[in-house]
Amino acid sequence: MTGAILFHELTARQRIAALVDPGSFSELLPPPERITSPYLAQLGIPVSFDDGLVIGRARIGGKKIYLAAQVGQFVGGAVGEIHGAKLTGLFKAAARDKVPCVLIVESGGVRLHEGSSGEIAIAETMRAIFECRALKVPTIAVIATDIGAYGGIGILSTCCDFRVMTEHGRLGISGPIVIEKWMGKKAYDSGNRALVWKTSGGKTKYLLGDADLLVHDTADGVREGIARFLGKSSPVSLASVKARQKELAKRLKKFGATSDPEAVWKGMGVRNIEAASLASGPEFAALAKRGK
Amino acid sequence: MKKPTPKKPTAKAVLARLFGTSAKGIAIEKSVLTGYATVGNQKVCVIGTCDGTYIDNAAALRLAAHVIQCIERAPKTPIVMLVDSGGQEPNRVAEMLGLASYFGHLLSCLELARRKGHKLITVATGQAVGGAFLCYGMFADRIYALESASVGLMPIAAMSAVTKIPAAVLEKLSKTMPSLEFGAAPFALLGGVEEVWSESDDVQARLAKAIATSSTEDNRAELGKKRGGRKLALDVRQRVLAQSAR
Repeated sequence: MTGAILFHELTARQRIAALVDPGSFSELLPPPERITSPYLAQLGIPVSFDDGLVIGRARIGGKKIYLAAQVGQFVGGAVGEIHGAKLTGLFKAAARDKVPCVLIVESGGVRLHEGSSGEIAIAETMRAIFECRALKVPTIAVIATDIGAYGGIGILSTCCDFRVMTEHGRLGISGPIVIEKWMGKKAYDSGNRALVWKTSGGKTKYLLGDADLLVHDTADGVREGIARFLGKSSPVSLASVKARQKELAKRLKKFGATSDPEAVWKGMGVRNIEAASLASGPEFAALAKRGK
Repeated sequence: MKKPTPKKPTAKAVLARLFGTSAKGIAIEKSVLTGYATVGNQKVCVIGTCDGTYIDNAAALRLAAHVIQCIERAPKTPIVMLVDSGGQEPNRVAEMLGLASYFGHLLSCLELARRKGHKLITVATGQAVGGAFLCYGMFADRIYALESASVGLMPIAAMSAVTKIPAAVLEKLSKTMPSLEFGAAPFALLGGVEEVWSESDDVQARLAKAIATSSTEDNRAELGKKRGGRKLALDVRQRVLAQSAR
């Protein structure tokens, strides 16, 4: 047990230990194999024996899963050639073995120090994720950390069947600092944490339907969230993409002219913004539901 | 290190080069391309971007709508995706409304098309960078690039600005590590592009051949290893597959 430590405060390996059935995790390409980035070595930047991604097999509630956890402390969890190849391999193994695949996301996207290799790896992993989906093998992204899911990893997360988020998690493409640089502080003050989280945080993503579940920022909450989706899949069909097209068009029409996240909250059924801001996970979801 | 910048052809010129007179069936609206054209004797569906535009929620939706229309009305018609985009729209409202999800939706539509027998061919015609390349172009069965296209994660100057690594250091390393170099040719060494089409190539014939020979099997890691630009990806992936099979 990790006691009162919040899920977003844990390291990647602690997260795995706290999530899976005790003793069930066996790591693939573990650190003793020392597969390290030649790019970082050439640039004189410290390398990591797992290249910032822990992958392996485990069980949750007795059910077999493949599991990956990105290491945010290592170059922001960014995807280099090896990190990306491990991820592609894991989803391919999941498709081959028809075992659900869970990705604990903590990444700003492509590792810039390695250039285009990481970008291609993300594209390859997307293909592997859709291989799983075609076979009805569940793919689940857990987005529950401050670093969140950005850049190519933000896009990749939206390719999975399901997204489980906490209010701490953020999902997007361009981060606040990049947008501030581009559009000016008036358009986006990256230092305004409330605004940043109301723009890309789990609560807003849940309200809009981009997160399928909002859970407490605890290992128990995340585990229960994952368990709910292990037996399910969200197949890509003509009916499903047409429904999604309608939904996204409606969202753009309804909120495209507003810059105020609170208008989005209200528009999606939140009556009391202050109470909702303080509510966690399922409590927040219940508040929003009541307003509808 | 200053390289001569190749002259940028206009969107219309690029379309005429690829599709001849049939390019008239492709609408250009706010730098988003949708329509149908002919390659050889074959009808193709065309989606894409031009003018280096930034892709926002509305643009992604329009591309997705055209893919859905093609699936419904022109079953199995090959889809040609043209890429000339500087990136995703860097905008707070776009992010708030879930731009990533709009991209995920576009990718889902393309995946459905692939499963329903549409071939997916990308031609990088201008800028093909970052999120804009990831949100549709890199999802094709096979990816090609015009020699004049700017393909890759980002130019070395931008990489240097973000990583704080001096541009000269990156420039020097890029000579032995094509992943750090920006452009269609180094991207092809990584396996990210199947073939680069030069100024003198008959691109209509090349495109017809690309459609005829495409396969839904992702071959990029194999290509990257064979060409020597991305030496580790395939081996690491296979190691994961081998260890997990035990």
